[in-house]
Amino acid sequence: MAALRAACVAALVIGGAAASSALAAQPPQPQDEFRPVGNSPAPEQIPAAPLLIGAYVVVLGGLFAYVVGLSRRLGAVRQDVERLESEIKRRGR
Amino acid sequence: MNATPFGRSLWLVLRKDLTVEVRSREIAYTTLFFAASCVLVFAFALVREGRAPEGGAAGILWIAIAFAGTLALGRTFERERQSETLRALLLSPMPRPAIYVGKLLGIVALLVGTELVLVPLVVFLFNARLFAHPFWLAGIVLGGTIGYAAVGTLFAAMLVRARSRDVLLPVLLYPVVVPVIIAGVQGTTALLQPNFDAVLVRFWLLLLVTFDVVFVVLALWTFEAVMSD
Amino acid sequence: MPKWFTPAAILCGLMFVISPVLIARAPDEASMGMVYKIYYYHMPSAWMFLLAPLVCGVSSAMFLVRGRPGDDRRAWAAAELTVLFGALTLITGPLWARRAWGTWWVWDARLTSSLVGWMIAWAYLILRRYGGPGSDKLAAGVALFGAVNVPFIFISVNYWRTIHPPTTVVPKLRVDMGVPLWFCVFAFLLLFMLLMTMRLRLEETRARLDDLYVALDE
Repeated sequence: MAALRAACVAALVIGGAAASSALAAQPPQPQDEFRPVGNSPAPEQIPAAPLLIGAYVVVLGGLFAYVVGLSRRLGAVRQDVERLESEIKRRGR
Repeated sequence: MNATPFGRSLWLVLRKDLTVEVRSREIAYTTLFFAASCVLVFAFALVREGRAPEGGAAGILWIAIAFAGTLALGRTFERERQSETLRALLLSPMPRPAIYVGKLLGIVALLVGTELVLVPLVVFLFNARLFAHPFWLAGIVLGGTIGYAAVGTLFAAMLVRARSRDVLLPVLLYPVVVPVIIAGVQGTTALLQPNFDAVLVRFWLLLLVTFDVVFVVLALWTFEAVMSD
Repeated sequence: MPKWFTPAAILCGLMFVISPVLIARAPDEASMGMVYKIYYYHMPSAWMFLLAPLVCGVSSAMFLVRGRPGDDRRAWAAAELTVLFGALTLITGPLWARRAWGTWWVWDARLTSSLVGWMIAWAYLILRRYGGPGSDKLAAGVALFGAVNVPFIFISVNYWRTIHPPTTVVPKLRVDMGVPLWFCVFAFLLLFMLLMTMRLRLEETRARLDDLYVALDE
């Protein structure tokens, strides 16, 4: 309970205080549209490839993990159902 | 059996809560003390070399209100649970929306009472010139309190018979009211700016009013639907 | 599982396998280079992250009105998918932002309200798991507030000062950028329906299990 409240404090402090400074700051103008280009520009400070590949790995990995987890849960419950059904049949005799 | 009229039901519920509270003052005192302690903890934690953090006052005020509100909500409905009065209210011919609004107004009254002490405390501890524009301040604080209480009253009532209700109230309430808290903080921060911009403050106030309307309307419908059993 | 499930699952799998090829062949963007290609998975995830709480909210409202367990199961499944697609959106977004904006996160209206929506879905799942009896109705009430948050997330980016791209980006896309995007959107939508079906089947089987336990006791 205390830990949960502490986590809530942290979340609210970050939200409140940082949101205020976000309003005060001047963010750059957002892009209105995506403009395609012929050649890639020279790479900047942060390399794009690890971020790009990382993003795709996270998405595909996350989806795969969820599907596997879901199948496992479904299989376990189905097993229990079969077990109970055969038990009921057995007692029915 | 005819349903009791809305206004009369509302007044009965509100008067009951206020009477019990005025007699015992239990929730009022504990909430107030807790809120003041919150603010003091922030003051001790964040003050550096005798100077308060820039722009921290607004956030701290609203965090104290949010935490005090959770405490007040929990205690108010715990009281209902112990004497099963909520169940009695729901079984009575009172219209459900009236019960909800009655409890909502009670919670708002409690929180406003707390804020009457909390705001001066924040002004004092953090040198925040909140009283420069008192009517705007009152509007922002009241708008935020109503939005917070609207969702809080609904969720606290819903959780009365649930397991782990103490922990579940913050878990459910805080994400939903974050927009209200943010609008409250932004509005209060705008009030503290040296070059006061009424347009900006009015924007946040209008946003709070929008949240209040949406949340109260949604809560009224949900209260009716969830509490019928 | 229904008859269309297996062919749809195969189709969906194929689409996901093909998608990186299509994405690799799309052109780079003028100011962001190739990192913007995260968008081809980020945006469909985000759309599913907005669709799921709407499904959850509508199902919850129907459940509160009609009281049918099928509505409740759909709401629970949709809440789980909100958490899943929300996680994917909230991870791919910052990865893109780190390069495009120079920062992992900003507290603007869209990101903040998205995070809030994600937390509401978590709260729903926690309530279902630990709330005890009667938590189906309580969670339905919470889901309504989560659903109300969704339009706010979507339009907030057009009205608040923010560096997140506004909703005008999608209609203005050129064809060679648009085709991979809509391909991915379709793949994600198909996946969404497949996952909903599986998750619903899980709840239905659990309900059957409960019935069997009751029957066994008699």
